[in-house]
Order: sequence, then structure tokens, then C-alpha cells
Amino acid sequence: MSYQEFKDIFYNGMWKQNTGVVQLLGMCPLLAISTSVVNGVSLGLATTIVMALSGAAVAMIRQLVPNEARIPVFILIIAVLVTAIQYLMNAYLYSLYVVLGIFIPLIVTNCIVLARIEAFAARNPAIQSAFDGMAMGLGLTAVLAVLGGLREIMGHGTLLSGIDLALGASAKSLVITVVPDYHGFLLAILPPGAFITLGCLIAGKNWLNQRAEAKRITFTDAIPAA
Amino acid sequence: MRRTMAKAALLTALNLTAFALFGTALLAFIYSQTHERIEKSVEAEKLKLISQILPQSLYDNDILKDTIKLSPDPLLGNEGETTAYRARLHGRPSVAVIEAVAPDGYSGKIYMLIAIRENGELAGVRVVSHKETPGLGDYIDIARSDWITGFDGKSNAQYNDDDWKVKKDGGKFDYMAGATITPRAVVKAVHKALQYFALHRDALFAGERK
Amino acid sequence: MAFSPFITKPSSVSEIMLQVLFALIPGILFYVWFYGPAILVSMLLASLTALATEALMLKLRNRPVAPFLKDNSALLTAWLLALSIPPLAPWWLVVVGTMFAISISKHLYGGLGNNPFNPAMVGYAVLIISFPSYMTHWLTPDGLGDITLGFSDQLNYIFHGILPGDIKLDAVTMATPLDTLKTQLHMNGQMKTILDMPIYGHFAGVGSEWVSFGFLLGGLYLFFRRIISWHIPVAFLVTLFAVSGALHLVDPSRYAPPLFHWFSGAAMLGAFFILTDPVTSPTTPKGRMIFACGAGLLTFLIRVYGGFPDGVAFATLLMNISVPLIDAWTQPAVFGRKDRS
Repeated sequence: MSYQEFKDIFYNGMWKQNTGVVQLLGMCPLLAISTSVVNGVSLGLATTIVMALSGAAVAMIRQLVPNEARIPVFILIIAVLVTAIQYLMNAYLYSLYVVLGIFIPLIVTNCIVLARIEAFAARNPAIQSAFDGMAMGLGLTAVLAVLGGLREIMGHGTLLSGIDLALGASAKSLVITVVPDYHGFLLAILPPGAFITLGCLIAGKNWLNQRAEAKRITFTDAIPAA
Repeated sequence: MRRTMAKAALLTALNLTAFALFGTALLAFIYSQTHERIEKSVEAEKLKLISQILPQSLYDNDILKDTIKLSPDPLLGNEGETTAYRARLHGRPSVAVIEAVAPDGYSGKIYMLIAIRENGELAGVRVVSHKETPGLGDYIDIARSDWITGFDGKSNAQYNDDDWKVKKDGGKFDYMAGATITPRAVVKAVHKALQYFALHRDALFAGERK
Repeated sequence: MAFSPFITKPSSVSEIMLQVLFALIPGILFYVWFYGPAILVSMLLASLTALATEALMLKLRNRPVAPFLKDNSALLTAWLLALSIPPLAPWWLVVVGTMFAISISKHLYGGLGNNPFNPAMVGYAVLIISFPSYMTHWLTPDGLGDITLGFSDQLNYIFHGILPGDIKLDAVTMATPLDTLKTQLHMNGQMKTILDMPIYGHFAGVGSEWVSFGFLLGGLYLFFRRIISWHIPVAFLVTLFAVSGALHLVDPSRYAPPLFHWFSGAAMLGAFFILTDPVTSPTTPKGRMIFACGAGLLTFLIRVYGGFPDGVAFATLLMNISVPLIDAWTQPAVFGRKDRS
């Protein structure tokens, strides 16, 4: 596997085919859990692990599965991985598990996981598939982090609140108070805030794309055809 | 032709079964490795909540084991059985932690943990879950404000029936402007829980379990 | 010698908006009479914020600023929003609500004529969801409370959040009649004894019944100037009257009389000034009737069973989003075609 191949997969997952702001898949957890950076990143990373492992697993066993039984077997693999993660979080990160609650088991139903398996892992080697799952998951995590960050600042005036749930009580000092004595803007924390902020993020990405495109065109125009 | 189709279907079924068995085995293994820790985490979490209203110095027994089921009672507001945790120090009753419900919150029931010392004095109150309006009635939650700590140390000996009201209604308890239904419901439920405790004190602490 | 029609219909957007602003004045006068001049401060604050936001958004969108600013639509949004917010609200509450109304609910959808939701009501919804405690502190109408704040004291609270001496906010503010009714009913009060409380005035609430009456006058003016048609106000008010009246007949101890629903809260303001917004209401007369009936029914349901004090804003927004559907239903068939498919 060449360096270029890795680069393409990574660029695809993080930007060009980003699950959060381009493919718009897996909206339910994206909108429900992105109330703070810690919540967003935690769920994003859990999804990333599931996607990377399930990508690798499917790529390895795909020859063994008859075509008709494909989807049930894939879902089975995802469900096993998610349940395993759920047990592990339950045992070792219980407070965080309580906060993320139902959204951990719901990773199974997140269409992005099955979508990547069908679109990529079912026809590519294991290493690439694992990397693709990871890149896609990290792309989702990045969107969740930005969304969670914006909503947390607007809603509570803080960043990284609840980090002690993930890293232990000693991490409590990492919480940043961005706006002291903040009134709190509840709308940002409630579901409508998630939709509005995500809309702004999508608009922002499209704007960046358009600007890059405009630049590219003027650039090629400036060079006289040889 | 039909034979080959049947054969293919059988093979698919076997294939699926094999994967299902493998997945189940894997999960069973992970479960066996983690379930002890999970149970411990669940207990630790419950203990964390209780220990907010029950000072460590007041008990030396295993309060999560020393419990008693309380049947429905209008003074507790519960419709099904709820649990009371009994704290003992040197084998003598010290505090009862009772689960109670305030049925008349602004948007539904408010579930609470109420810790009462054996002399009838409140050790503390916490709201476990509620559906009050965010930003308006949710100050009863310790995560939002320390209003609920206003109950610490209060008792029926100290306050008469008219004192168990919010200040707006002539009682002794604070409330935040704009939301009075919620604190009214909580104050009422705590008052009733104290009455329940006074009536059932002996039964509450009877039959220690270790 | 002049010929009919004597009353001409104003033509430009700017002129229509100006007439609507003019029609709000009787209600505002009653408002000032009962609650003091603080409302004028929030209206001014909202107007300035609205114009500044409008100019900024137009500039960002590369549109000409001056002609759009002069169409007075931003001003109308600002006034309607300011009239829905408690007059003793801190200054930033007014600013945040107005900015949200103009930028997100109007310009992000493409500006005047393209917004699916009434901007003022979006601003109100954002504020009541985000800052419910500020949004439920209404000034006690003149004569009801023990203490009355002077204008300078009101200004001091709006801009610095300070009340004179040891006066508590609760001493100079109270919940609206609608809100009080809900609280009292919740505590198992009887409708008759509740409505005998001094806050309820003659039949719907000291102050609020007169302010509503002022808006009714302004609304009639708009109707006679042919700026609004009768369909929406009549359908809305009749539905509200019918539903509340029917339930009041069934159980007068739990349901308030229909006149109370007409003259408290934002019913009159909504009927004549908010629901009639041409951009966010259906185009056909039949569509408008359906739209306004739905709004009346929802207003009643939200007032009686909902968690928020008044239902007009949420009813308006819910019916706003049904407008494309209503339009599709009620659009007349193209002439000469029999089937509508």
C-alpha cells in the first residue's frame, strides 16, 4: 500500500467525504451527544474504534461469506464489537458511560458504519479497510469536537467540562472557563442549537470549498495554455 | 436445480450460525472478564450519590446491602416499592436514606433521595431525576445550584407545619423568582418524608442485613 | 369631486410596513400607561439592533444596503419582538433576540420574502427557551404592586441589572395573568376564585386587557386601510373563542372563559399583526382560514396544556411551517383542467 493511497483515504475521511458535514450520515448521535467537547470526542472515538475494527474484520472474512448472508454477518460483526466496547466502557469508564448512555449501543444502528463496510471494506484489503474506518471515524470525531466545542462555549461558557469523567478526577483542572460569569444560552445546548450549529458548519465548509475552487480557476486561467 | 438451491441455503444458514456462535463466544468471554468490574462500578456510582448526603463518619456498615423495601405510601409518593438504605454506626442505627417522589412537579414527578438521621434531622436531600423546565425549575438539581442543601440539618422539631413552605407562601424555604411550583413540590415531599420517618422509625431500622 | 374608492390601498412594501407600525401605536400607548415607559427603551434598543444587523447582513450578502433598510420590515420585526418581551428585561436579552431574529431566521433564508418563519416569533421562541426566568418577569401593572419603579430605576435595571435599595425583583414583577392562571390551577385552585384575584382586572387582566384592546383598534385600522384581509384575524379569534368557549361550558371550574383568552397574552397582537405577515402566511383566502384556525387551536392547546406561559408564538411557528402544505392544498386548479393531479 503506497503512501499516496493512505493519503487519499485520510483526505477522503477527514474532509472530502466527511461523515458529519458532507455525507450527513449518523446524524442522530451527532446531534444528540454534541453538547460538549468531551461528550462529542468520546462518542467519536468509540465510533472510530468500532469502524476501524469492523472494517478490518469484514475485509478479512469477506471471502468466507456468501453474498446473501452478507448484511446480517456484517451487522453481527458490528454488534459484537459495539457490545464489547460497551462492556469495556461500562467497566473502566463508568461515569462517561452513564453520560453517553444509550448512544453507545446505538453505534450499531449508525448507518455510517455499515455504509463504509459496504462501500469500502467489502472490496479492499484489511489494512486499507481498517485505515479507512479510522479516517472516517476521525472525520466524524473532528466534527463532533468542533460542534461540541461551539455548543459548549455558547451554552455554558466553558470548554472541556466533564473531562474528569474520561481521564479521572485529576484532570478536572483542564476545564477552561472561556466566559466567566456566563448567563448560559440554553438554546445552544438544546436540540435546535445542534441543528443550527451544524448548518453553520456545513455552510462554512461549502464556503471554504468554493473559495478554493475559485482560486484554482483563476490560477489555471492565469497560466496561458501551452 | 432445486437440490443446489437447498444446498446453497443450507450453507448460508450454517455460515450465519458459525458467525453467530463465534460472536457470542467472544462476547461471553469479554463479559466474563468485565462483569465483576461493571458491578463494582455500578455500586460505586450509587454509593457516590448516597455519600453526598451521608457523611462517611456516620456509618460503618455496608449500606448497599443493608436495605429494606418500602411499600407504596402517600407520604412517600411512591406508586411501586422503593428502597431505603440503612446506615449504622457500631451496630446502632444512625441514618436512613429513603427514596421518595414529589408527584406534583411542574412537568411530572421529581425523584429524590432523602437522608434522615435517627433523631429526625435531615442529613441531606438530592434530586435523582426530574423533568423541570431547563433554566427555570432545574435549580433543585445540585449540578445547577446549591438550593437543595438548604434542607441540611432541618427537622420537624425545629420547624412547624407552616414553616415547611417556600417563603412566598409564608414558609422558611428559599425559592428562585419565576419558578415556585417546583420548590413547593420538593419542600412538600421532604416534609412528608419526615412525617413518614417519624411514624415508621422502628420498622425502618428493623432487621439488619449484612 | 372625488370618486370611490376614497381609501386607496398603499402600494409599496415600505408604505405598508409604515402603516402597520402606525397601527401598533394605540396598543403601545396603553402599554406605557399601565407599565411605564420602559417598553419604549426596549423598542428603541430592538430597533437599533435590528437596523444594524440588517445592514451587516445585507453587506455580507453583497446586497444594496440603503433600499432594503428603508423598507421598514426590520423595524416591524423589532417592535413586535420588543412588545413580546417583558419590558423590564436586561438590555442584552433584547439585543440577542433581535439579532437572532434578523440574521438567522430572516437573512439565512434569503431575506425579506423568503423567510418561512415569522422572524419576531423566532426571536421570542429563542429567548423563552434559552432564558425562561428573564422572560417570565413582567412588570407589575401600575396600582397592583406596593412599590412602583420610576423611569430612572427601570433604566438602571435594564442596563446595569441593579434595583434601588433592597427591593427584590419579585416585589416589582409578577407572572402574566395567563401564567398565574396556570400556576393556580396547578395548585388545585378554582377558576372562579382565581379570576377574582386583583390581577385579573375586569375580565382578562389589569393592563393586559387594555393593551389587547389597543391592538384590536390598530388591527381594525389595518383592515379598513385594506392592508390585511379579514380571513386570518377572524378565523383565528373565532376558533380560539369556540374552543375555549366550548370547554368553558363543559367545565367552568377548570377552563377560563373565552373573553379571557381573547384579551390576555398575545392573542390580539397575534391575530392582527403576527399571523397576518404576508410572507409567512398562505396566499389564498381558503388557505389563510385553515392557517388561522390551526393557529387558534394550537394557541389554546399550548396555553392550557403546554409548559410555556403563552401559546401564540409556538402556534404561529408551527403553522408557518405548514404553509407550503396548505398552499399546495388550496391552490386553485389551473383553468381548463378538471383533475388536480
